[in-house]
Amino acid sequence: MFFQVKDLVKSYGGKTVLDRVGFEVDRGEIVSIIGPSGVGKTTLLNIIAGLDQPDSGRLHFSEPPDKEHPVIMVFQDYVLFPNLTVFENVAFGLKVRKMPAAEVRQRVMDILSYFQLEEKCGLYPNQLSAGQRQRVAIARAMVVNPAMLLLDEPFANLDRNLKMQTAEFIRDTQKEFGVTTISVTHDLEEAFVMSDRVGLILNGRLVQYDRASEVYGNPTSMEAARFLGPMNVVPPHMREFMDMEAGVAEDFKVDEEMHVRPEALRMVREEGAPGLVAEMAFAGHYTKYRVLLGDTAFVIFDRRTGIRVGDRVRLKIVDSSGFGED
Amino acid sequence: MKLSPLLVPFVLLFLGGLTLAVSQSLGFWLPLPYDGGMFDAYTALLDPHLLESVGLSLYVALVSALVSVSVGAMLAYAVWRLPDTLERASVVYKVPLILPHIAVAFIVLVFWTKSGLFSSVAYHLGLLNTPAEFPSVLYGNYGLGMILAYTYKEVPFMVILGYAVLKRVSPRVVVAAKMLGAGEVYTFSHVVLPHMYRVMHVVFIILFLYAFGAFDIPFLLGESSPGMLSVEVFNLYFRRDLANRPVAMAVLVCMFLFSLAFIVLYTKLASSLEQKERKL
Repeated sequence: MFFQVKDLVKSYGGKTVLDRVGFEVDRGEIVSIIGPSGVGKTTLLNIIAGLDQPDSGRLHFSEPPDKEHPVIMVFQDYVLFPNLTVFENVAFGLKVRKMPAAEVRQRVMDILSYFQLEEKCGLYPNQLSAGQRQRVAIARAMVVNPAMLLLDEPFANLDRNLKMQTAEFIRDTQKEFGVTTISVTHDLEEAFVMSDRVGLILNGRLVQYDRASEVYGNPTSMEAARFLGPMNVVPPHMREFMDMEAGVAEDFKVDEEMHVRPEALRMVREEGAPGLVAEMAFAGHYTKYRVLLGDTAFVIFDRRTGIRVGDRVRLKIVDSSGFGED
Repeated sequence: MKLSPLLVPFVLLFLGGLTLAVSQSLGFWLPLPYDGGMFDAYTALLDPHLLESVGLSLYVALVSALVSVSVGAMLAYAVWRLPDTLERASVVYKVPLILPHIAVAFIVLVFWTKSGLFSSVAYHLGLLNTPAEFPSVLYGNYGLGMILAYTYKEVPFMVILGYAVLKRVSPRVVVAAKMLGAGEVYTFSHVVLPHMYRVMHVVFIILFLYAFGAFDIPFLLGESSPGMLSVEVFNLYFRRDLANRPVAMAVLVCMFLFSLAFIVLYTKLASSLEQKERKL
């Protein structure tokens, strides 16, 4: 364990923003704290960065950060110094450490080269795209070899097509530099791709903290499940209308309702089958179907199947991936 | 035509005044017959007493503008860093802005003369044996009284303009700088101050030229010999011989030309520095 947050409580004007939040981060790990907007994620990051004080609770580092190896936060809007060039921005932390000019130049150019920003070194922040500005901000933080890196909503200002690319880039960079990193975001897919572990905050409480697949597939509550995406609930009396792939049935207890992600369901067209396709909507790399089984509606994500609204279908739970997976 | 309400007073008062000043400095349109040479008045400006006066005026203008701009920039930063709750209370810094220069001159007199408040306080605290031992701040040949008055009056001017610039800057640049290890001084000089450079240059020009040419504060707080140029001009024009009018006007014309040249040169210098900075 490199870093631990224990029983953190923070209130503003009588409203509890963080309620006994606690988790641990291992050295070199990248962790994302996810949750809806306004749930206290940034407050948590501010407290870890030392920009805010908790009402109670504590933070513990196995090796406390110091002036040479500080905790550095990359803000949502990057907060580059607008009067300094890319080179000067990245060199800032080294210059204040009074490093010799030649070494500053070498280290800055090395890191700019890694971040593919060499050619931009003479430009000012307002001459860069959002993605480039973010890379400068991360480079500026990484170059001082921080004890921990904090990323506040790293995907918030990026175009949709850049988000996943950036998530992968952050993950690769983090692994390359080995800097322990905590990110807060409400971009779920990117958080899952980038993170070793994911923590889910709802109403100020950390309701789950685990590997991404576990958080997504085995949520601790229906509220948690619904935040992460649609979740179908199959009551026990409906089970007889569902087919199951071999081995899947063992994952569910007989007399309890089953929770099944839309992508774990498949449809098989069949005359007189109990399911009725009520709606379908094309959503890019999948099609979203709404199927009525008696008075219960199920959401199913499937590829183009030729199935249309009004068709009768059988529903099949194809696997238990994304559900109670180990 | 639309600008005529502005242009008519400008032409009549400013250009008319300038024309009259230039003419009288050359010996024309004077109330008395003039039998000197055309440039005699300008030659008279090389008089050592007047040159000392030029030196004093430049020195007072330079020091008061430099101090006002520097202190004002630091105070603008301090006000900008105040928590929101205290920001409204900081309006107190604007008080000297609404005081006329003459009132500020009286305030300086009340506080800093040998019989003033500071002298009395020092005497009652036992720091002085008699109030008369208080150092001659106002009339010690260093123009300190005028510098104090200008600084008191003009620091808020810099604060208000500097603060307006900083309001557009994210306060988190300071947080970011400190996270990266910068101290207070480095953060101020490398991250905050550059945002204020442009307005500092403008304020410096205004304050320098104002202090260089203004009359009321030197009249109340200035030494008599050498006096500030404005007081010298007043004396030459009103108090001595009418025959001195061309010299008084020659001083005014030179002050005007100096101000013009100062603005042009300073602006060029400031913009070349700025370009150099941005090329780094």
